[in-house]
Amino acid sequence: MNAEPAKCPYGHGQKLGRDDRKSARLAEANITPQPGSRVVGDFAIGREVLRSAKVRQAGAHADDTDLSRPDEVSFFFLDGDLHRKRRAAVAGLFAPKTIVTRHHAVMHRTMDELVARLQEGKPLPLDELSFQMAVDVTAEIVGLTDSDSNRNLARRIKSVLDSSLDRKPGRIGNMIFAAKMLLRVGRFYRKDLVPAIAARRKEPRDDVISFMVGENYSRKGMIMECLSYGGAGMMTTREFIVMAAWHLFDNPDLRTRYLTGGEADQSAILEEILRLEPVASMLHRRAVEPQPGVMEEGEVLCVSIREANVDEAITGPCPFELDPDRAKRMKVAGPYMSFGDGPHRCPGAQVALHETRIFLDRMLRLPGIRLVSEPKIIWNSMIQGYELRGALVACDPACPSWYA
Amino acid sequence: MVRVTFIDAGGIVREIEASEGISLMENAVAGGIDAIEAVCGGNCYCGTCRVHLTPEWYERLGGPGEYEGPVIETSGDGHPRVRLSCQLTVTEALEGLVVETPAAQS
Repeated sequence: MNAEPAKCPYGHGQKLGRDDRKSARLAEANITPQPGSRVVGDFAIGREVLRSAKVRQAGAHADDTDLSRPDEVSFFFLDGDLHRKRRAAVAGLFAPKTIVTRHHAVMHRTMDELVARLQEGKPLPLDELSFQMAVDVTAEIVGLTDSDSNRNLARRIKSVLDSSLDRKPGRIGNMIFAAKMLLRVGRFYRKDLVPAIAARRKEPRDDVISFMVGENYSRKGMIMECLSYGGAGMMTTREFIVMAAWHLFDNPDLRTRYLTGGEADQSAILEEILRLEPVASMLHRRAVEPQPGVMEEGEVLCVSIREANVDEAITGPCPFELDPDRAKRMKVAGPYMSFGDGPHRCPGAQVALHETRIFLDRMLRLPGIRLVSEPKIIWNSMIQGYELRGALVACDPACPSWYA
Repeated sequence: MVRVTFIDAGGIVREIEASEGISLMENAVAGGIDAIEAVCGGNCYCGTCRVHLTPEWYERLGGPGEYEGPVIETSGDGHPRVRLSCQLTVTEALEGLVVETPAAQS
């Protein structure tokens, strides 16, 4: 059969249209599915796998996790009823209504502080600003609110979760890594988690730690859960905010649309950036039962988020182009598969989108705001995702604002 | 195909031809019903695909499932007959279903 290559109907001269992705080349060169797994790039099949009750978590150390003591295991590694119950117990913290009525106040309070720092005029690292936003919001949801300061909390969390890049290969490298990790986790436990637990034993609040205290989680269980929320809520959002800012600084038309559009339009822009630049690249699942036409029993499947997000069957033509109207036109959920799908879909997806939207809206309205230096894009092989470092932003108050 | 009618908070009536075997939410989104947001894509997490049923339809379809109830509760929707449309699979038994959508989903 002579299949015609797909052509962009908008006349961009390339068979698949313009490619607006910034992380794709790096990802293609470095992405490493779990050995022995079968990669699924088709959106519909990937969704079927992730929604199936016949799969269990795999990859990301899931295979090394001892599930015989679920009270010591993060919800991330659990499946079935227990997983669902744990997530349901704290679902209200992530509900759209809670985000607006409770978390928006935290987001704006953080932005007041960051805006004041930016208005001092010195160039500041964008990933540090975005990390502070992500830490403040996640800390509120998790209940890490009794630390000496949120900046120190951010530093300690980062020292645990960012350490993957320091890891040297080999036995000695692993031993040094484990020793360092023990110290860092211990510091986080003493300085952040212990005071938070003590405060909640006296007076429970509406947050994850209060739930864990009420359920008598073990110390290990609490640490694991907090670090899971920390990793998901803080590290990934930090990267996405920088990535979205980079696109908006680079593209004046998109920036104009972002600053003149309403909240729905801003969200559509961010979701489309996330479709092209998903922070997580793949999700692994092990089939515990066969599903005809989809998977065989025992098979490990690697659902490629990056491939699924550019599957023309669901994106329509020109899948690599940044087109904020795409999702509405195609009648699909805007982030496509960037937050995963099925029971393990990212619980904080809406939180991340709201904090990114508010961060960028407030920052880009500052008079004279500019990207002093672009980020360097690097690959974190531990989490199999991109990291953006070195971006500097500054504002010159003498310059007019792009938009009031 | 199954006929389903959506009535929004302003009283505007829209009828769609829904496909069997997939959720009412997916049918609504495909049919351009803007009042169904479904920001989580149909995973029973966000509560932004809520529909309000008549007493008759509520009796036929039953109340929310085990995981659906807490999501509806956190949405703050106080209507006595709320369901998440992502949890309602369209079958021929839904022929003629009429649902109302809330003024705001989030």
